[in-house]
Amino acid sequence: MASFQQASLEQTNLRQATVVTLVLVTCLASAALAETKKEYRFTVGANANISVDTQYGAISVRPGSGNQVVVMATLKSDNVEVDQQQNGNRIEIASHLLQGADQQTGQVDYELLIPPDATLNLRSSTGPLSAERLQGDLTLEGADAVVNVRDVDNGHVHVRTMRGPITLTDVRNGHVEVVSISGDIHLKSVTGPLVQANSGRGKIFYDGDFGSGGNYRFTTHTGDIEALVPADVSADFRAHSVLGRVRHDFPLQPKHSRFSAEAGRSFFGTVGKAASDVVLRSFSGKIRLKQR
Amino acid sequence: MKCSDVERVLPELLDGAPDGAFPADFETHVKSCPACSNLVSDLKLISSEARQLAATEEPAPRVWLRIAAELRAEGLISDAAIREPESAPTRPILVPTSRRPRWSAWWLAPVAAALVAAGSYVVSHKPAPQVAKQQAPATRVASPAPVASPIPETPAATSASAPTPAPRQMAQKPAKPTDTIRPAVEPESSEEDQQFLTAVSTRAPSMRTTYENQLKAVNADIRETQAYVDRNPGDTDARQHLMDAYEQKALLYQIALDRIQ
Repeated sequence: MASFQQASLEQTNLRQATVVTLVLVTCLASAALAETKKEYRFTVGANANISVDTQYGAISVRPGSGNQVVVMATLKSDNVEVDQQQNGNRIEIASHLLQGADQQTGQVDYELLIPPDATLNLRSSTGPLSAERLQGDLTLEGADAVVNVRDVDNGHVHVRTMRGPITLTDVRNGHVEVVSISGDIHLKSVTGPLVQANSGRGKIFYDGDFGSGGNYRFTTHTGDIEALVPADVSADFRAHSVLGRVRHDFPLQPKHSRFSAEAGRSFFGTVGKAASDVVLRSFSGKIRLKQR
Repeated sequence: MKCSDVERVLPELLDGAPDGAFPADFETHVKSCPACSNLVSDLKLISSEARQLAATEEPAPRVWLRIAAELRAEGLISDAAIREPESAPTRPILVPTSRRPRWSAWWLAPVAAALVAAGSYVVSHKPAPQVAKQQAPATRVASPAPVASPIPETPAATSASAPTPAPRQMAQKPAKPTDTIRPAVEPESSEEDQQFLTAVSTRAPSMRTTYENQLKAVNADIRETQAYVDRNPGDTDARQHLMDAYEQKALLYQIALDRIQ
């Protein structure tokens, strides 16, 4: 009797598992069927200008080969279209939402392969946005988009988000301007003649050596600022928080300045040969300059 | 006839009333009064330009009939669909009489610019003379409520924190809290903010909460900084933070402008 009950139970479990599996497979299959992949190819000259604008979806850009721009778009439904246009050296790609499209059905994910020297403009509300191994000017904008820029040389890098976190890694010799209303900003090995980061409520983390001959300006309102730098860094430092605390681990050499330091609220001084100028400002966030 | 009498009959000019339709003393007054004369000539110009504009915007009836014939030939519309009431013989069924309401967000651009301008004004606006009187260099007062007590100086900080007699730029301290200076802008929940949120609700309802929270946060930052600047009008760094806070608000408007149209 017991073995009969057990067998019956196993059969029931098997049936349930089969039904669940079938439902899952059906869902996945219908989702896959609804997706459409499209590929666009363009031939451009040097210093092409490429823009991609999507309301919903990821944009990822890597260097391609030669003078070809390859755009691979994955459309999540028929409620969205891709408009593409080339005018000489300028390429514009944009998602076009149709009636009834929402964040899921209006999503288009883009992968681009572009000439490394191209100027790039990426916009997506949801993101993520990522660009790597490029040498042209980059502008990335998104409301909630997570932004990642990696391994970029010599270009201007402009990023702005509403609350999406921003991470820049290995950006060299660039004019960098990063702004977020409440997103955190991570700068790792970012150097250049001008590096500005501003976040209202987000934090700013810097991990690097502040290069040589650059101006670095980090500003927050309530967010903290933390800079992790090697002992042999060469920079003039100025830090001030109107209402927050400031700390540093360096034996700063006092220098004549029009600024006056206020214990716990500000400090200034020089380390090494003062190759770069570093200003850290916050209204009520904490500021910490740490030695690696 | 007085200027006020002229103004009373001016709307008739816009309706295209001929010159002779007005009382004789109207003409007499207009000829003798430069202000009324300018007003009348301006109104005449506007009226005539407006009529020409309407003429250029409105295609001739045959245009609508041709379009109807084309659409009928292509099977896109039926005869019933284009049967027109006798009272409206030319066009209305083919031409949308009411366009789909579309939120034009371009007003956000000047608002964003105005925010930056307001921030600039607040930052650059020098304190009134009475503020200077209230500053007593020898007096140091604790910072406002949200301030955490200063941490003890680290040894390294001590080495580089020797006060200098140079003018204070970054670390200007308050002389005495005062409420005599009113903020130039108090962005608690302005009319523009309400318009902004209504527009977001209309165009991107799912984003309403996000933008509302961000707006509240930015406004709170502005108010907090403004209050501090009011108490410490000589603190140039705080003024710069106020400017930054306004720029953050402008950025929020710009992101909305770019993303939710």
